[in-house]
Amino acid sequence: MSKNMNENSEVVETASNEIDSEQTSRRDFFKKAAASVTALAGTSLLASGDTGKDDPLIMHHVKWGQKLGDPVTKNRYGIPSPYEHNNVRRNTSLLASGNWQASIAVTPLHESEGIITPNGLFFSRSHGGTAHVDPNEYRLMINGLVDKEIVMTLNELKRYPSVTRTHFIECPANGGQEWRGPQFNSLQFAKGFMASAEWTGVYIKDIIKDLGVSPKALWMLAEGSDNSEMGRTVPMDKVLDDAMLVWGQNGEALRPEQGYPVRLLLPGWEGNLCVKWVKRLEFAAEPFYAKEETSKYTALKKTGKAIQHFYANEVNSTVTHPSPEKPWKGQGLKKGDIVEIQGIAWSGMGTITGVDISLDGGKNYVPANLKGLVLPKSWTRWSYIHVYDGKSLLLTSRAMDDAGYIQPTVDEETSVTGVEAVYHRNAVETWEVTEEGEVNHVQIRS
Amino acid sequence: MFKLDRKLAVLAASATLLFSAANAMDTGATKKYDFNGKAIVDGGVYYPVKNGKTGPYYVNPSRTKHSFKGNWRLATKNEIAAWDKDVTPTQHPPKGKGTVEHGEELYEAQCVMCHGDFGSGEGSYPALSRGNAYDLHKTMKNQRYPDPEADGPVRVFGSYWPDASTMWWYIQSGMPHPNTKSLSDDETYALTAYMLYINELRVDGEVVEDGEFELNQDNFLKIEMPNKHGFEPVIDGPQGQENSRKYFNNAKNFGGIRMADFDDRCMKNCQKKSAKVVSIPEGGGIKDFLPPISVVRDLPKAEGPFDPKAGYEANCVACHGGFLSPGAAEWAGYTGKGMDAVVANAIKGTAGGMPPKGGNADLTDEQIKQIVHFMVNGK
Repeated sequence: MSKNMNENSEVVETASNEIDSEQTSRRDFFKKAAASVTALAGTSLLASGDTGKDDPLIMHHVKWGQKLGDPVTKNRYGIPSPYEHNNVRRNTSLLASGNWQASIAVTPLHESEGIITPNGLFFSRSHGGTAHVDPNEYRLMINGLVDKEIVMTLNELKRYPSVTRTHFIECPANGGQEWRGPQFNSLQFAKGFMASAEWTGVYIKDIIKDLGVSPKALWMLAEGSDNSEMGRTVPMDKVLDDAMLVWGQNGEALRPEQGYPVRLLLPGWEGNLCVKWVKRLEFAAEPFYAKEETSKYTALKKTGKAIQHFYANEVNSTVTHPSPEKPWKGQGLKKGDIVEIQGIAWSGMGTITGVDISLDGGKNYVPANLKGLVLPKSWTRWSYIHVYDGKSLLLTSRAMDDAGYIQPTVDEETSVTGVEAVYHRNAVETWEVTEEGEVNHVQIRS
Repeated sequence: MFKLDRKLAVLAASATLLFSAANAMDTGATKKYDFNGKAIVDGGVYYPVKNGKTGPYYVNPSRTKHSFKGNWRLATKNEIAAWDKDVTPTQHPPKGKGTVEHGEELYEAQCVMCHGDFGSGEGSYPALSRGNAYDLHKTMKNQRYPDPEADGPVRVFGSYWPDASTMWWYIQSGMPHPNTKSLSDDETYALTAYMLYINELRVDGEVVEDGEFELNQDNFLKIEMPNKHGFEPVIDGPQGQENSRKYFNNAKNFGGIRMADFDDRCMKNCQKKSAKVVSIPEGGGIKDFLPPISVVRDLPKAEGPFDPKAGYEANCVACHGGFLSPGAAEWAGYTGKGMDAVVANAIKGTAGGMPPKGGNADLTDEQIKQIVHFMVNGK
């Protein structure tokens, strides 16, 4: 063994010392090696290149393979590997309303896998900061046009038969910076005002069936208990369809940023309608004109009229690999190598039924494949196998749903809405892939 | 060989068929609700329970056969009154009154540090006025395209919001931001009166331009909002939900494209000749990302010493950019009781609107102390 090590000593030095200095004390060899630490990059090149040399990471025991690991008693609530510290929500002062309370932190879609977002990476947007609710002091009130105006504790709410559903939640301002042209050269910021989870709660229709709702009730106000008392008006038909009060998120309690202990979930609809820390539902004959359904979340069209009570997030898609954060550059791709182009498609109006991919910015399309679970009002993964040829590309994806909607081009959408709508932008998106494999956010406009 | 080729041809044909089938995939969706026979209110689809499933999900049908009245109790009248405080175009604000003058005093004491003089929105909090509401209402068709430097539509309370009830309710339930639900009904009337004043709005035909003007529950209903009819669909009245349903089932209203058959979608030569690539201009893209974007997988670096200037910029500048800013002379009026008292106020917050620790509970007392010293001394 020592002979082998000596033969490769130069290499072993670089591989063994960049992180764990503890091990260097174990053997004289490592002690000597510690004196000449070189960059990790050298090892990576060697590992991926066809040099004919043996990879020291294979030829020698890795440092974590010879000592005891952590006891199971460490991290009673598990945390990611420290090497994953760059996989985090991010924010920008451009999207803050003066402070970091009425603000948003967006999901790193470029590091997302599958159709579930880990709870700690779920995008976070609130209008008065993250409230910290004592679950023992939580009360839910239902009042207004019902025979029985009621109050419940959290435990009482959780006694209802539960339902579990996988849905994305998307801020309708997702992509809203890009109306007048591409702005964010980043997947996380261009499309990360959304995330997806498996939610557990109760259908509101299962609660109100016992309360004697008046036929005059056309609307339901949902009001938060946080400092902003975020409120939105929901039409009765959504309440009778799939509206839920949820307390579970990916198998555990909601995170505070998602409205612990209870939030409204309106599958497929604007995130702000899914009121967090919800304390009250009021049924009424007239809409409420709450602050966030007039001052914000209305889409001004070029006619000068604004769409109010805009509900569902329309059919949409994005390419996650490659993307500005995950370019092909630096991956050692050679002409003829096979590479997967993949992404996410979603629709708040139904189920994704297909995705087309264009390599020339939307001039010509071919069908891509869906993969994994295909669920209503849910993220859906899609995939296209590409033979890398080193040429520049314009990657554009285009999704369809079972309600019959297909993503519009930038021109098609803006011809109706103009460029001042802020919300509900779902035109196709284009990444320019350069010959060097860099990826940039562009748009195709006439 | 021939047989094999034919087999392949058949296989290829059925693969094509399969793809078509995938496009017309049967998800169990319907375009009408089963409970009222009407089109889906958002323009989407519905998944009725069929064979024990809604879409791909099984449901327990027994759950709807029982009453769960043991899960709740009736609310008391007082409880409902305590929580049901919404103020809408049809549920008017409670009895009370307030003048523009009183509103201005309250504004200067509790609002100006974030919303700027006369609601100008200096700093990055929302502007509350940009001038005469009726003039600004004429900007609603403005488009900042193709000229990005053109004047856009001005969307502030006076020019854009349809109803003043929203402002009254907003102020009382959500303002001032660090200390909400602290204003009385009369104070809320006074601040709303001040909002009318800075937006030069009319009440019962008269422009609010006098500090003596008093807003109360009677003349509140006579505020003339210029953009009252600037929204679609019309959601008021017994047809409100039907109007929504009709509006969102016509994709042309919102720039959507709804097809009867996806086989008709364009797959070849789908672009106009004038189509061109628009890219982010050199250096013009937004790069202000926190933390900076990186996909490197290494061990996190140890944090350096705390930088009070960076702490100020991350937590305080929004309100303190123009008011008690670093090194400002006006600090002399606040340091009479010594620096420890200023630091203590910064930690616990003040009645004047300063939230505890500037709103960032993650800051330690020592970090707050360093920030306060930086702000008072300007270095």
